[in-house]
Amino acid sequence: MSLPGPTVFVLDDDPAVLRGLTRLLQTSGFEVRAFASPRAFLEQHDPAIPGCLVLDVAMPALNGLDVQKALAAEGDRAIIFIAGQADVATGVRAMKAGAVDFLTKPFDESQLLGAVTAAIEKDRAVRAVREGLRAVQQRLATLTSREREVFERVVAGRLNKQIAADLGTTEKTVKVHRARVMQKMGATSLAQLVRSAGSIGTEPGRPSGR
Amino acid sequence: MIFYKSGDQHPRSVQPEQAAGGTEMTNGVRTDTVPAGESRSPALRSLAAGGAGAEGFGSRVLIVALLVCVGYYLGSMLGFALTFHPRPISTLWPPNSLLLAALLLTPTRWWPVLILAAFPAHLAAQVQSGVPIAMVLGWFVSNCSEALIGATCLRRLIVGPLQFDSFRHVGMFLACGVLVGPVLSSFLDAGLVKLIGWGEGGYWQLWRMRFLSNAVAALTLAPLVVTWTQVGLRSLRTAFTWRIVEPGLLFLGLLAASVYVFAQTAADPATTPALFYVPLPFLLWAALRLGPQGSSAALLAVVIPAIWGAVHGVGPFVTGHPEADALAVQFFLIAVAVPVLLLSAVVEERRKAREALEASEKRSVQIFRSSPYPIAIVRRTDNTILDVNDRWESMFGIPRAQAIGRTSSELHIYVHDSDRRAFFDLLSAHGGARDMEADLCDSAGRVRRAVLSADIVTIGGVPCIITITRDITEQKRTEREAEEQRRQLTHLTRVAMLGELSGALAHELNQPLTAILSNAQAAQHLLAAEQVDTGELREILRDIAGEDRRAGEIIRRLRALFKNEATHFQALDVNDLVKDTLYLARGDLVTRSIDAVTHLAPGLPPVHGDRIQLQQVLLNLTMNACEAMSAGDPNGSTLTIRTQLAADGSVQLSVADCGPGIPAERLDKVFEAFFTTKRHGLGLGLSISGSIVGAHGGRLWAENNPDRGATFHVVLPAIAGVRP
Repeated sequence: MSLPGPTVFVLDDDPAVLRGLTRLLQTSGFEVRAFASPRAFLEQHDPAIPGCLVLDVAMPALNGLDVQKALAAEGDRAIIFIAGQADVATGVRAMKAGAVDFLTKPFDESQLLGAVTAAIEKDRAVRAVREGLRAVQQRLATLTSREREVFERVVAGRLNKQIAADLGTTEKTVKVHRARVMQKMGATSLAQLVRSAGSIGTEPGRPSGR
Repeated sequence: MIFYKSGDQHPRSVQPEQAAGGTEMTNGVRTDTVPAGESRSPALRSLAAGGAGAEGFGSRVLIVALLVCVGYYLGSMLGFALTFHPRPISTLWPPNSLLLAALLLTPTRWWPVLILAAFPAHLAAQVQSGVPIAMVLGWFVSNCSEALIGATCLRRLIVGPLQFDSFRHVGMFLACGVLVGPVLSSFLDAGLVKLIGWGEGGYWQLWRMRFLSNAVAALTLAPLVVTWTQVGLRSLRTAFTWRIVEPGLLFLGLLAASVYVFAQTAADPATTPALFYVPLPFLLWAALRLGPQGSSAALLAVVIPAIWGAVHGVGPFVTGHPEADALAVQFFLIAVAVPVLLLSAVVEERRKAREALEASEKRSVQIFRSSPYPIAIVRRTDNTILDVNDRWESMFGIPRAQAIGRTSSELHIYVHDSDRRAFFDLLSAHGGARDMEADLCDSAGRVRRAVLSADIVTIGGVPCIITITRDITEQKRTEREAEEQRRQLTHLTRVAMLGELSGALAHELNQPLTAILSNAQAAQHLLAAEQVDTGELREILRDIAGEDRRAGEIIRRLRALFKNEATHFQALDVNDLVKDTLYLARGDLVTRSIDAVTHLAPGLPPVHGDRIQLQQVLLNLTMNACEAMSAGDPNGSTLTIRTQLAADGSVQLSVADCGPGIPAERLDKVFEAFFTTKRHGLGLGLSISGSIVGAHGGRLWAENNPDRGATFHVVLPAIAGVRP
């Protein structure tokens, strides 16, 4: 499976600014997709493509904040806002809604490239976490209910003897289940198992269903 | 009538009665607005004004009544003295004419009192002479009727007091007082005499004698009493200078001549005709020099000796037949008195007319001399100055003596010779000039802005130009200052508006700057690569140049608006104005997410205007519209700017928003200075916009749209004759 590399989406209604930014990012080695209209961008947007969005705040009809709101419904997209006017209120709203950065035009390439690099990195990290999580959940789904019970107690830090007592079975049986859990979850150590449990939000320390 | 003519000292209590009496008497002629007589008696005035109350009025009537009574009695005595004794009727019968004079001098409502006052005098005088009581009463009736007829006729015919210095009044007096009164009353008198059977002679003989004796008395005594009462004793009091010498000499001479001719000389048929003329030079002298007052007095100086002489059998009239003598002396006196009275009236009238003319001329000269505006009179033929007034002298600093006889070009009055030529061209073309502005120069070389008005008139047969100059230097300076202040305020408002717009303008400038910077840095990246893409580089450079121009364009427009320059009117395309304005407002529109829609009519005629000021108006309206919308529905905010040709051929520009609209009661108020709904607004934007549009001869108004929002309309007159 070959996913496309990180792409920098640029959305600015000013064609000259759009061309200049596209060129700068392209010559800096980024994959760039430029859009002059928010509607065209939203229609063609594929959240699966990794990368970030360089988004102009002031646009007629749909402004940058509106685009950010629309994107939030589809999933995370790392956004760098660029504004022709330093407007604190807009900046605060953008950052609260999860923007990676807020740049005021005109900005130096180092600012833009730094922000874009950071955003791509953040996107990559987010995507990696999301990927790991999905793997953990997939593995979790393969557990039987008994194995699940054992898993919950193991990550909660209970000893095999205690788990056996909890479940009304023998320590030996628990050991077998535990080995199966470790195998199914792809964990080589207890620490790994606890981490994957933490990523999906299973609360450690308090086993459920006592 | 005369008595209540006391001007501001009018006794209040007299007024209603007087008005009633006057109206009744004169049959609708307004008697209360009699023109002020030139010669008013101080004696009468003091009488009329003496007591400003009811008892004052009464006491005045009584005084006059007493005077009438005494006068009537003495007049009767004089009449008896001048009677040819066998005849029952006097040659000169004064009481009736004295009564007539009294009636003429007093308000109508006094008349019954005066008639009553005459009655005891009549009784006293007549009873002495042994006349039967019936005849006494009959004569009283006929005597009073004579005075009443004369006075009533005169009051009806003449508005105001009887003036013996008016030819018309004297004519009226002769007709009414001397002719009609005595004629009519003599019918009654002769009839009564025949009825009672006291007198001798036939009816017509009696009538003739009665008529003539009363006519002579009316002719000689009534004018005397009236004129002397009117003028009063004041003239005598003040005349005790050398001026009394002339009338004094005249009267002495006249009296001496009259006495010599009529009362001393024995009847001698050989010399008499020439003697009649001896008093004539004196009478003419009086008529020409002394006015009606002196003339009437002079006549008396002839009448009394003539009649006295005739009655006493001396003088040129004595023929031995008393009746014929009486007739002769009466005819003689009538023939002398009538022309003398008329002559003196004419002379007096002429003198007064001449005085009035002189006074009017004097006033005209006074008006010219002391006019608050500089006036020059210039001869049309050679443009030399004939006269200038004081103001002209002070305005130009040129003494009158120096100005007269020279021309405006010799005096270097016009700064620009073209103004001088234009002025004389106007005069030639239209015969005058009205409010022509010109720069004039005084003797010190100071330039004054002036407004000239001139007319061509003929003075003494010479065509002249009368030029009135008005110095408007100060006025112009004030106007300029006001204009300058208005301009400063306009500029300040504009700058304040641009301040409000600064964020959006920064946005507009940052766009090209961003594009330029990104492109330049991209180019650096390209150049760092081993394989230089010259095609891309060319594109980049083209973009950089284009964006630089774009930034420059914004700055140029912005600087034009910031500049504080004098108003410069030129032909403007309104559609260009809209485009220019949107160029600057774009940032604001974008920041507020407002769509700007323009409907620009093609081929509009140009308007005459100041580009910056009109752009200010449009920018102001656009920003207000944006503000109205950001306060309202954020989605679908549309600003619509429309230009079109109005029905009357002017150009209309409308800026519509879709905000909440303007409350109906504020539609006019929004144009008032310091009216604002914004927290930080000065409230000057629309008021300045209104005054700018007004200065362009246009109109600015607001109305609410039928659906939502408001529209501001600007109508500007198109340049005439320029049609697409």
